[in-house]
Amino acid sequence: MSQLSITKLYVSIGEQEIIRGLSLAVPKGEVHAIMGPNGSGKSTLAKVLAGHPDYKVTSGEVLMDGENILELAPDERARKGIFLAFQYPSEIPGVTIANFLRAAVQARLPEGEELEATDYYARLYEKMDLLEMDRSFTSRSVNEGFSGGEKKRNEILQLAMLEPKYAVLDETDSGLDIDALKVVAHGVNSMRGPDRGILVITHYQRLLDYIVPDHVHVMVQGRIVRSGGKELALELEEKGYESYDEMKTEAGEPVLA
Amino acid sequence: MVKEASPLEIERNVGNFAYPETHTHDAGVGLTEKTIHFISDIKDDPDWVREFRLKAYQTFLSKPMPTHWASKDLEAIVFENIRYYLSGGTQPKRSWEDVPDDVKRTFERLGIPEQERKFLAGVEAQFDSEAVYSNIKKAVGEQGVIFVGSAEGLKNHPEIFRKWFGKVIPTGDNKFSALNSAVFSGGSFIYVPPGVKVKHPLQAYFRINAENFGQFERTLIICDEGSELTYMEGCTAPKFNTATLHSAVVELVALKGAKLQYITVQNWSSNVFNLVTKRGIAHEDAEVKWIDCNIGSRLTMKYPGVIMKGRRARGEVLSIALAGDGQHQDTGAKMVHAADETTSNIISKSISIGKGRATYRGLVQIPKHLKNCKNNTECDALLINSTSRTDTYPAITVRGTGNSVQHEASVSQVSAEQIFYMQQRGLTEAQAMSLSVNGFVNDLVRQFPMEYSVELKRLIELEMEGSVG
Amino acid sequence: MTNQTAVLDEAMEIETPQESSEPAILSGPSEARVAGLPTWFREQQRAAWTKFESLPFPNRKDQPWRFSNVSALDFSPFIQPAQLTQKERDEILELSNGLKEVAGRLIFADDQLLRRDPLPEKLLNSGVILKPLERAIIEHDDLFRRHFMAQPAALGSAKFAALHEAFVTSGTFIYVPRGVEVELPIEIFHWLHGANASVFPHTLLIADELSKVTVLEHFRSAHQDRAGFGCGVNDLVVGRGAKVNYICAQNWNDKTLAIQINATTAARESSALSLNVHLGGNYSRFESLSRLMGEGARSDLLAISVAEGSQEFDARTLQDHASPHTTSDLLYKNALTDRARSTFGGLIRVEPHAHFTDAYQTVRNLLLSDDAEANSMPGLEILADNVKCSHGATSGQLAEDEVFYLLSRGIPADAAKQLLVAGFLNEVVDRLDHPAITDLIHGLIEAKFARR
Repeated sequence: MSQLSITKLYVSIGEQEIIRGLSLAVPKGEVHAIMGPNGSGKSTLAKVLAGHPDYKVTSGEVLMDGENILELAPDERARKGIFLAFQYPSEIPGVTIANFLRAAVQARLPEGEELEATDYYARLYEKMDLLEMDRSFTSRSVNEGFSGGEKKRNEILQLAMLEPKYAVLDETDSGLDIDALKVVAHGVNSMRGPDRGILVITHYQRLLDYIVPDHVHVMVQGRIVRSGGKELALELEEKGYESYDEMKTEAGEPVLA
Repeated sequence: MVKEASPLEIERNVGNFAYPETHTHDAGVGLTEKTIHFISDIKDDPDWVREFRLKAYQTFLSKPMPTHWASKDLEAIVFENIRYYLSGGTQPKRSWEDVPDDVKRTFERLGIPEQERKFLAGVEAQFDSEAVYSNIKKAVGEQGVIFVGSAEGLKNHPEIFRKWFGKVIPTGDNKFSALNSAVFSGGSFIYVPPGVKVKHPLQAYFRINAENFGQFERTLIICDEGSELTYMEGCTAPKFNTATLHSAVVELVALKGAKLQYITVQNWSSNVFNLVTKRGIAHEDAEVKWIDCNIGSRLTMKYPGVIMKGRRARGEVLSIALAGDGQHQDTGAKMVHAADETTSNIISKSISIGKGRATYRGLVQIPKHLKNCKNNTECDALLINSTSRTDTYPAITVRGTGNSVQHEASVSQVSAEQIFYMQQRGLTEAQAMSLSVNGFVNDLVRQFPMEYSVELKRLIELEMEGSVG
Repeated sequence: MTNQTAVLDEAMEIETPQESSEPAILSGPSEARVAGLPTWFREQQRAAWTKFESLPFPNRKDQPWRFSNVSALDFSPFIQPAQLTQKERDEILELSNGLKEVAGRLIFADDQLLRRDPLPEKLLNSGVILKPLERAIIEHDDLFRRHFMAQPAALGSAKFAALHEAFVTSGTFIYVPRGVEVELPIEIFHWLHGANASVFPHTLLIADELSKVTVLEHFRSAHQDRAGFGCGVNDLVVGRGAKVNYICAQNWNDKTLAIQINATTAARESSALSLNVHLGGNYSRFESLSRLMGEGARSDLLAISVAEGSQEFDARTLQDHASPHTTSDLLYKNALTDRARSTFGGLIRVEPHAHFTDAYQTVRNLLLSDDAEANSMPGLEILADNVKCSHGATSGQLAEDEVFYLLSRGIPADAAKQLLVAGFLNEVVDRLDHPAITDLIHGLIEAKFARR
């Protein structure tokens, strides 16, 4: 029950089918990684889990701790405990990180309960220290004029503050130099624990040197084509995705299993 | 930074209540010379004021409606159906204790006495045509600051006020300035002596209680050399089914080195036509700054202006307009450079919601032979719904080789990706929208006094409710 | 008349300009002008004359004429020009130096066709048409009726569009059929010749689907000391996926009153670029309507003016986005010296439902003297959302440090300033990707500087 489970998921955008019968389960306490070539549908999966309105789930189900979340609005899912670290986070001009996060934390409190400002700031500063972020960061507008690294750090800061049950990290390593990557990985690793499931989506194996997964899945043409332990990531690094080419043609066919 | 809860309790609907009318002076419906004599008699105007009014009445009759360039909605104003003067007496009380109960209750509900205690140097509260309460803190009065109603100012301090009265804005400036000049009643006359820096703001609160009514207050503020003043005005009215007219004239004079800041939070109910003429003169090294927030009304037409008459004078207009469904906020700024090294700055932000329409009209004039004058104008519009509308119509005239102007305008909207991002963090669509809109105006609101910026954010949130989903 | 005075008469005829016997335009179009045009067109012209007479004269208080010196619009001196003599025609042809290589060329003076360089055989065979307007009225009656002045003169000059319609007798008709690309430009000259002559140039261009064409139009005066009046209208119809470049090189003398009213309609996926160079005229009013009618349409509106003496340039524009996913980009620059004035009144209008519009408008004024005056009225009317729209207007002068930099390299002050002004204008001219035409325009600008 305590898992994020995806069963036989089919997703389209417009006329185009992108996810074709994907099944996957991320139990609490584990870190899973999805790897796959460009265009395999990895980012689509992340957005679908978060409820992006552009994508249409044509069949299948997504259960969070046994509850179907596909009918929920994006903000309802988020408050129930699913978090997406965006590949391309939006800029929100004029809204400071402090105010933004405060509104997000407040939204998770029961109605009528007011956020205690001192506690909030104490916690915010603690997480920022963890991510080696300067205090002045809080008064900058969300993602506006941020470097790639700052944007990703900001995503992880939000992850740390909102403490979701399940976190989906979409290409969190893209645009990071090695130093920034270590800091971000450190932030993510500090969030690992028995009460949280993490799904890391990445194109490169590099990130997985720092966030070591319990399981690795290979995604090609909208489906998981192979699953294994962390050594699978190394194998992919060595051999690339070419060996899965033959599956592409197969994957083009409707999969009914 | 954590914001305290607002000390002001005005919100979009808090003003929507009315008490039964108990006016003892009523000029009746419609406007003739008799109406003007009625007003002059009650106010015991000096002869020159009576003549000024009668002349202005003729000007009003001869002036066309400014409909050729603005809104056809003005045609909905029927001058014959309006009541031009209503009051319970011409003498404002110095203590809230002496204000009649129902009127006092009105202002208590609007939070005025509380604010006065907390952070104001003086308050004038106008109820329909006359101020019912007017008081200035003792210490401020002792510095020689004069803070009285318009009639009292003209009668008791002609040597100070007559010199500038009707000079910054001539009667014939437009049809509505002429109308105000004919029937003006209420408003503030303020004089700040040389070098006096008034620490806390003076505030006027304008309340319309009666139906079919026209409020025509007249304000003249003179800041003598080197003095400083912040003046704030707020306004509300109950929501009636018939049109209500508010047509003020506000004249500001900042003498050499003076600094004068005039803040408006306009929150009229959506049946009010708000047609206001506001202009200031800035002498050498002086600064006139208008902070103008238009939230309410059915149609607002207001273009605060600054004439920079002395060297190095500065003019500034910071304007925020929120045009909700069915509202038209037609606002802007006028900057007339009349001396060397004068600088002006206009920042206008508007938000159109539902079928709301926000219009910016601007005028910047730098005539010839002036040197080193600068104007900067920025107009940003945010559209919330697909039925919302925004217009920008600046007019800029520059002559000569020593001056520069720069005007920029942009239109944007809250993107779907932005809303999704915030929803992913657990905010509802409406919360996300309101946060975005506050972000849009944030850099401007930050320049406002604390009390107003907090209130303004709350007003925006209230307006945004129900605009999505 | 006796024989003795015959010599004297002849001499007098030379001294007394012909125009005294020619009808003033304000007395209405003369019947002789329109002989040979079809009846329906003549009736249309009579209706236009009635319209001209009934419409009110512009008033500065009207927004479309704000800041404009409307008193300059005095048509009373102007006459309907006489027939040119062969000698005059030859002289003007001699002066008609433009592009070296063209696809075709028409040369008019005082509204009379002097010469026509026909299109090459290949283009004629592929169906391209280039002919005088009066022939198109008859030979391509349906195309003509559908597109001739089909767009309303929405920017203030409805009265003068009616005047044009009442008087127009010639002009250029261009049709480019589907998929045909005309590589070389089509060049048109309009000359003013007679003293107080008036001309009513008209260009009707129809670029059919996926076609491509570039048109360069010159407006010139044969004599620098003769007053004249040019009142032109252009209809540019850009079909689906077509690409049209239109360049106007307005170089009337400084005694000319000029009104030019242009309308461009851009269909789906099409691209229209106009570059209007305004150098001449005492008072020159230019109205440009660009309507984006289909998804994916794009319009580039470019213009420069160089104003000196007491010249006045008054430009009004409308970027009308009537369809979603359309783009328009306007860049106007004015360089002003002496007592010259410029006015720009422009509007971006995004109609309801024209979502995903990108529209930009930029006006830059360079003031080079203390009495020069620049008026800017950029405008936005946005009735749709999901739009990206912005406008900017600046007025300023040459940067002192830039001037100093050139001086420090030994360039004399006048030359340095000229160089910087040319640079300022070139940003606009160089947006046109057509070296032969940009060279020609650079030459015209330099010639104007050289006259100072």
